[in-house]
Amino acid sequence: MRTRLGWALVALSAVCVALGVAVMVVLGPDSRMTTGPHPVDTDGFVVVTAPKVLTWQGVRIDVLAELPANKPVFVGLGNSVDVQDFVADSERLEVTSFGTPWSPRTREVKGRENLPSSPTALDWWIAKSAGLGGARLSTTLPDETVSLAITSVGSSNLTGLRVSLAYGVEGGFLKGTGLLLLGVGGVWAGLLVRRGPDLRRSEADDVDGEQHVDDEEVVYVYLDDDGVEHEISAAEAAGYDVVETVVVEHPPGPEPDAARVVYVFVDDDGVEHEVGEDELDDYEILDEEDER
Amino acid sequence: MRRALAVLVVLMTTALLSSCAVPLPRGSSTVEKAAVRADEVPQILDRYQQVRAIAAKLLDPKPLSTVEAGSVLAIDSGTFEVEQRLAQDKDLPVSAPVLDEVHVPRVGAYPLWFVAVVSDKAAGVNRVQVFERASSVDPWLLVASPETLPDTELPGLRHDDGFVLAVRPDNAAGLSSSPAEAAKLYAEALDDPGSKAGATVADDGFITQMRDAAKANAGLDGVTFSQSWDVDDVEFVLRTDDGGALVFATLLRRDTYEVADGITVGWPGGSPQQAFLTGGISSSGELRFDHQVLLYLPGGGGPPRALGQYGGVVSADGS
Repeated sequence: MRTRLGWALVALSAVCVALGVAVMVVLGPDSRMTTGPHPVDTDGFVVVTAPKVLTWQGVRIDVLAELPANKPVFVGLGNSVDVQDFVADSERLEVTSFGTPWSPRTREVKGRENLPSSPTALDWWIAKSAGLGGARLSTTLPDETVSLAITSVGSSNLTGLRVSLAYGVEGGFLKGTGLLLLGVGGVWAGLLVRRGPDLRRSEADDVDGEQHVDDEEVVYVYLDDDGVEHEISAAEAAGYDVVETVVVEHPPGPEPDAARVVYVFVDDDGVEHEVGEDELDDYEILDEEDER
Repeated sequence: MRRALAVLVVLMTTALLSSCAVPLPRGSSTVEKAAVRADEVPQILDRYQQVRAIAAKLLDPKPLSTVEAGSVLAIDSGTFEVEQRLAQDKDLPVSAPVLDEVHVPRVGAYPLWFVAVVSDKAAGVNRVQVFERASSVDPWLLVASPETLPDTELPGLRHDDGFVLAVRPDNAAGLSSSPAEAAKLYAEALDDPGSKAGATVADDGFITQMRDAAKANAGLDGVTFSQSWDVDDVEFVLRTDDGGALVFATLLRRDTYEVADGITVGWPGGSPQQAFLTGGISSSGELRFDHQVLLYLPGGGGPPRALGQYGGVVSADGS
């Protein structure tokens, strides 16, 4: 059971490692994918995404719309109810689907050759930007149905429009790193779980509140019907139920006194005689190291 | 081992916290939105009050067209015109209503609208106001403002996930008739008390008041008075807690005077009739009124009942 749990944890963690690496590789250190500039073939006034094109929330997007000759351009993200009403009667290029990194499908919609109002004057945009020759929008997609609109401003149109797009997750690279670390930690933990005895020892540590030495020996014993104990290997023990765990501690023996200093008197015959500290005054101390 | 577990816990916590901001597919692909954000409502009401105060000070209804529309604008313009024609040397009262409640529906298309209940202690009334944004490029405008007495209890409104439930005017589910039909029934009861509708609709304060006024006008010597009622299209309906509906209906009233030869009918000073028909009526005349009525349709059936109204003269012809 413990072995299977360990393997499961290792496998799951390996998936985390793979995902983390994938996120880091795909997003890169700036946590986003960038594509463009892409030319958009339109001579109309509006390019707008259909309500069901932007289907994610929490994705960070950066849109740069550029027009030649310093023509004014507007980029805005708004709830689809607002945006669709705004462009409903205007001629427009509608993006009906979008595949990453850049494969939009579009359709032309006929209508009036202007917008009912200047987009910059409206208060319902979730995010907006306008500029001469280019406008850049940076925002995070909210949890509501939204549409992105690129419109001309004033009497100009969108001829020569080029769009660059970047999308990603804020802090995505760090999150990928976190996932990778989580996976590595999980693999480690899985291996530890698989090594059951270590875990039991840890439990014993917790109970006793003492640290056990690492070289503790585990002996598995099988008790037969006659009450005779037979020592078996760990592999064999895995096939039996553990009935009882007995911790046998070796009685504490005299520990060598590492700090004890032995003073020795060497007589003329070269024979050593141990002397006490109280007798040292009668002798000249000759350090053993110095002697060498 | 404990150190390993601690590291594992830290890593898992980090991963869980990170996952909070992981992009996800949107929960719903329905195209809809809250009609208005809660923080926008006080701004909309403040703007309305400011413009109304300016119009009242100038005694000029023109600024009102930037904050009002429909029959509210017609009624208020009529009120301002009356004041101008009567050349009364007094400012129209300007009050500072307090916002009590806001009820916002979720909508899938324009027009956007919401209901605000405000109390005006100076005027001694509560107003159940409907603000509408007709399109994405239009401003918020007041389109209905029936007044109720302070002690009038409004039925509780049914909400779903914080948003008030709107009812389509032609939806009769749980009601004796659809809100549009109920408003029509109510107008018929006013138009002809002896009709089947008149027998169905119970006399409430508004019906009594209108019938008393008609009776007084009909009692003028040498004058043939008639009154007719119609109803405008119903647009705004809210579901009540009991399964009923709260209906904002606009009733169109027409008072017609036919005067016998040699007689001129005049009205007391300060009345709207005097303002619009300055020289009185010597032949015939007609006054048109708009009345915004807040109708309550009880759940499970029952006739409509008016909880409040706001009305006035909107135009007149006479000779």
